[in-house]
Amino acid sequence: MCKSEIKNILAISLIGLAICGAAHAEELTIGALLPLTGPAAPIGIEQQNGVQFAIDQYNESGGLNGTPVKVAFDDSQGKPDQGVLAFNRMTDLENVPAMLTAFSSISLAIAPLGERREVLIINPAAQSDSLANASKYLINTIPLVGDEAHVLADYASENIGKSAAIIYENGSAGVSGRDSFKQFFEAAGGAVIADEPVEFGQTNYRATLLKIAAAKPDFVYIAITQSQVAMADQVGQIPGFPLGIGNTFSSPFFGHPSTEGWYQTGIQSGFPKDDLVAKFNERFGTEEMGFFAREYYNATNMIIRIAQHLLDNGSELTGKAMRDAVFEIGTFNSDIANLSITTNTASRPVEILQYQGDERVVIATGNVAN
Amino acid sequence: MTMLFLHLVVDGIVTGCAIGLVAATFAYFYSTSGTFHVAHAGVYTFCGYVAWYCTTWGIPFVPSLLIAMGVGALLGVIIQGLLYARLAQIKASPLVMLIGSIGVLTVLQNLAAIFFTPNIIQFEFPWRIANVELGPIFLSVPQLLILILCPLLYVALLLFSSYTALGRQIRAVASNPELAQITHLRPRRMFIYAIAISSAMVAVPGVLVGIDQAMQPYTSLIILLTAVVAVIAGGIGSLTGAFFMSIALSTIQSVSVLLVSGRWSLAVVFVIFIVFILVRPEGLVKRKFSREL
Repeated sequence: MCKSEIKNILAISLIGLAICGAAHAEELTIGALLPLTGPAAPIGIEQQNGVQFAIDQYNESGGLNGTPVKVAFDDSQGKPDQGVLAFNRMTDLENVPAMLTAFSSISLAIAPLGERREVLIINPAAQSDSLANASKYLINTIPLVGDEAHVLADYASENIGKSAAIIYENGSAGVSGRDSFKQFFEAAGGAVIADEPVEFGQTNYRATLLKIAAAKPDFVYIAITQSQVAMADQVGQIPGFPLGIGNTFSSPFFGHPSTEGWYQTGIQSGFPKDDLVAKFNERFGTEEMGFFAREYYNATNMIIRIAQHLLDNGSELTGKAMRDAVFEIGTFNSDIANLSITTNTASRPVEILQYQGDERVVIATGNVAN
Repeated sequence: MTMLFLHLVVDGIVTGCAIGLVAATFAYFYSTSGTFHVAHAGVYTFCGYVAWYCTTWGIPFVPSLLIAMGVGALLGVIIQGLLYARLAQIKASPLVMLIGSIGVLTVLQNLAAIFFTPNIIQFEFPWRIANVELGPIFLSVPQLLILILCPLLYVALLLFSSYTALGRQIRAVASNPELAQITHLRPRRMFIYAIAISSAMVAVPGVLVGIDQAMQPYTSLIILLTAVVAVIAGGIGSLTGAFFMSIALSTIQSVSVLLVSGRWSLAVVFVIFIVFILVRPEGLVKRKFSREL
């Protein structure tokens, strides 16, 4: 092979690489690290539907400057160790610049990796207070459990009673909820007279409920994320069980005779337009677009918006650039939520709702400052 | 405090009756075949889902329960025929059998999630949350059914084992497989009968606990864990030991929340188990044969 031939091959290769590089710069693959199997799978699958729907909608409208956005799902199984393995798989094999995460323990496990590997991590659902400062690459799009507990503790001490018991899930978010509620409730002049943990996915709560009822508090703060219906049924078996209050995850308590008059905080989370909701339900065979589906739909759109912003400004889609762009843009408004991001946790209004018959009535609204 | 104690004892007894039947049926098959059949927990869960699925088609409770028992028996026969018998043929060690059984358990749990739903589900029976007042005690209707049906089935299993020809043949195989083989009892066939009976019976607590609380594909392991502890502490090979030790352990676990936080209640059970087994290694009921019924 003569010198000129070698030069030609090198030149063609370089041009090829340049073309590939240019094309690659506009390609976006979003990672989604969700619990797709195991006890948390029902939540993970709802989250997955939200992400997939956002990607499908965006690609139907033309994609990112004409290039379809891709999504790489990986299964954390709801376990931090599996979450770390999945994080490494996605960053090594898919080279994702941004990733969606779920569940506090997993998000906390991958947070330092996000900083080390410069991958933007968006958390639209996990609520442990530790997530606030877990990593500068981790952005929380919902208030943390402490923020909700603060609003609720202030309201409860003024309007419900001064003595409380706590039932909490023995995990990162549950423990966080217990600690935060206790801190804010005691600061507001209340006293926590009993607290009892339950395990994630547990369905027999009778011993716990009996013990809590025997303590005779004015009300019970309940911080669990699963099996609320089973708990509501068993509450109905215990005469004189005190009034319950809870956070966003308490929604399934609504609609049971045993929980009439209960309170919960709710993060304001709107719905996309009716036709989109109908399309979602048709696509996934669901009856409603649930909270997690909406929040992950919104968070996916947020990542796409960040990517579009960077491309419009001629920047590359790196994790670092995307992280910086979050604060550069600052405000992400949609039908689902109006997010204002000045710290790692978005500021959003928190409502206090009461179960009154077949309605959840908003009786107060507090904003969580960040 | 007395009322709380009473309620916790009753709750422990009800839970113990359900676990007791799981333990007794586990012990029945283990005594017969020597196979540590952890997939029993998978059958327990799967049958619950089968019954739930039947009810979604409008099938009433009793036929749904019977269908679940039938599916349980069939599952047991399939597991024995396709896995345990073949492993035994190639003279697999008990450890290999155990690993195989764990594999089947995982498959069954995931099949339940795939075929039915990974969600926590509840039966739609209107009587599910109805309460029955027994003096100062409140029990849900499903709890009452557990309290009645599980001990009845345990007694039925004992009677079957002692007073029927097939029951005696299974006992003979359990006591001395080699001798049984010589007398043309065909142990492999007895193993199939034993697993079919125990798998059909374990469907009952699987369904009733599902109706009482809720179901999730992955929650049966903790029930099996307590059941296995009861089998060992009750005296390996003793159905009575397994059943009553389950009730004792569940009651201790339930009542322990009076003294310690709920998070330690399972640990309390295990500490008691360890102490008990150190003091009485043969278990509650001492048997003449290591795997006798």
